[in-house]
Amino acid sequence: MQLDPTADDLIFRESARVWLAENVPASDAPHEGQPARKYATDWVARCHSGGWSGLAWPEAHGGRGLSAARLIIWYEEYVRARAPSALDCTFVALNHAGPTLIACGTDEQKAFHLSRILEGRSIWCQGFSEPGSGSDLASLATVGKVDGEHLVVNGQKIWSSYADIADYQELLIRTEQGSQRHRGLSWVICDMSLPGITVRPIRNMAGVSHFAEIFYDDVRIPLSDVVGKVNDGWNVAMTTLGFERRTAAIALQLELSVKVEDLITLAEPATGTATAHLLADLRAEAAALRAMTYRTLLREPETPFDGSMMRLVFAELSQKIHRAAIDILGPEALVAGRWTHDYMESYSETIAGGTAEIQRNIIAERILGLPREARP
Amino acid sequence: MTFDLTISDDQRQILDAAKIMLGRNYPQSRLRDSNACDSMTPLVEFGAFVLALPDTQDGAGFSVVEEALLHAAFGRHLVSPSSMAAAIGLRIALATGRDDLANAIGTGEIKVCAGTETGAGMLLFEPDGAAQAILRRADGIRLVDLAEADIIPQTAMGHGRPVARATTPAAVSNNAPAGEDLNLIATLLTCAQLLGVATGARDLAVDYAGIREQFGRPIGSFQAIKHHCANMAIGVDMLSAQLDMAAIALRDRREDAAFQIAALVRLAPKIALSNARLGIQIHGGIGFSAEADAQLYIKHAHVLGALAQGKDLLSLPAPLAPLEEN
Repeated sequence: MQLDPTADDLIFRESARVWLAENVPASDAPHEGQPARKYATDWVARCHSGGWSGLAWPEAHGGRGLSAARLIIWYEEYVRARAPSALDCTFVALNHAGPTLIACGTDEQKAFHLSRILEGRSIWCQGFSEPGSGSDLASLATVGKVDGEHLVVNGQKIWSSYADIADYQELLIRTEQGSQRHRGLSWVICDMSLPGITVRPIRNMAGVSHFAEIFYDDVRIPLSDVVGKVNDGWNVAMTTLGFERRTAAIALQLELSVKVEDLITLAEPATGTATAHLLADLRAEAAALRAMTYRTLLREPETPFDGSMMRLVFAELSQKIHRAAIDILGPEALVAGRWTHDYMESYSETIAGGTAEIQRNIIAERILGLPREARP
Repeated sequence: MTFDLTISDDQRQILDAAKIMLGRNYPQSRLRDSNACDSMTPLVEFGAFVLALPDTQDGAGFSVVEEALLHAAFGRHLVSPSSMAAAIGLRIALATGRDDLANAIGTGEIKVCAGTETGAGMLLFEPDGAAQAILRRADGIRLVDLAEADIIPQTAMGHGRPVARATTPAAVSNNAPAGEDLNLIATLLTCAQLLGVATGARDLAVDYAGIREQFGRPIGSFQAIKHHCANMAIGVDMLSAQLDMAAIALRDRREDAAFQIAALVRLAPKIALSNARLGIQIHGGIGFSAEADAQLYIKHAHVLGALAQGKDLLSLPAPLAPLEEN
């Protein structure tokens, strides 16, 4: 077990630090709409021109193919420099869609999309959840029927972040009529400007509209936009999620350590008070989350599901930190501000991407080997 | 590779050998009928107390990283905290030039027990036959000669393993505590043992949830039980990741070592107790009985928790603090 930087690692750290100090935007990111898009895509474009985008992507596809050690160093510097949150409207493109195309896409799909993503020229959203398919994703019912060289898509997706400003969508639909559960699905690139698509933004509890529901009425998507094989979409989707576990979350997880430091600065707790104890606990948990993050990156997992424990610790710690901030602010929290906004947003952490309850089921069944739940 | 958290072949070998030794000499079932103090002889023969000493001091030349992994295995078998006390006592004896004493601790001739100071003097754990004690006080740890101490056995919490009161010898306050590095190692090993308790409690509960049937199926198929078990697994994962981080920082003398240890000690007693408590709940009625092993983990977690103390985490600089804004 080693965490020993080489001389080259130290040079890399220094160059990252210098670049970030000169390039991190001074203003905070807008929360929604075109201003959010412009801010995030400008940042990706700037990272790209500095040679700092697609860090985990293979070099053959325009990325830098950095080792886990270098990613750790980069993101440590990234969060300490208060660079823009990675969970903005470019997140799906850089961390889901791009890696999925790299793993499963055709040469034409890669040639068209990958550089656009890396340069901040296209925004993607996700089209997985449906009104009747949340935790039970495999029950999804949006259908695509083959008609000549096209799929004709009808149905509805929901909880799709930044769908209102996205150019493309990773769309999971049922393409085999009468198929059940995970079988008969396809993963499709959906151009959001196609006729028949209606996007209705949904205001969330933080008071901003960055997610939406989407209606598809006879939307004609070329068969050439299917990624992987038709009816093999579940495996394609699992490829994406597997990638997410290893790298996409590093920045978000390390960011919590910085948030705890900000909270300590905000609270200035006197030694021995309840607030001091609470902040010490949060600091310790953030340290442990960092240790879990490094272990996930730097050790072969014992099961493919090990990352689910780290993910859950992240989600629940994020909520604890923001709840503590609200307690510390007292009545001042009732006036909109950074902590208040992030507190409201943090309620999604234990819901999005698999609820905390589903995550616990996965941990119990897939890691601990407890018997499956009785199914109706 | 310079960044790698894989358990090495050497570490794996130590753990495999320890598993056999512990299974043979310290099965959890030993504690069902007897509250006798654990013998340290098998650990002496294993070389546990000199594992992390350099070759020049007749040690095995490994580091606190290997030693922490080993102590986590001890905790899983609810081995007496005298194991931590011997490993630390030997180091204090060496650091203060008492080579004969160090040697006698290493060979098991002299037994060291663990103790902590309360308002009423010293509280010693499994003190039978101990000539020395590692004493934890607010200002640090000390190796205390028990020759002058009047040791009075007490009934332990829940009629658990032996505990005794003793007056603190006057000499203790006159001597400076051991160096901060030894204090950190003592905390690291104690927390490693707490990780072992948390792991053992998890495994016992998960096994039971898989075989105990109610409503015609194993209770582990019900979400309420599953979620308790998942929480136990998460606690173990968090704590073991932080233990590795702290052990590496201490071994490599990194500047964040004190921070990592302070974070570790903030987590370890809570997680061990939480797992032990969930373990009782999952076992139901039998968990409340002294005839099942689940209750042993609660008592052991409390003892180790009393021995685990660290610096105030908020007083230390954080490794991931935001950089100064220009």
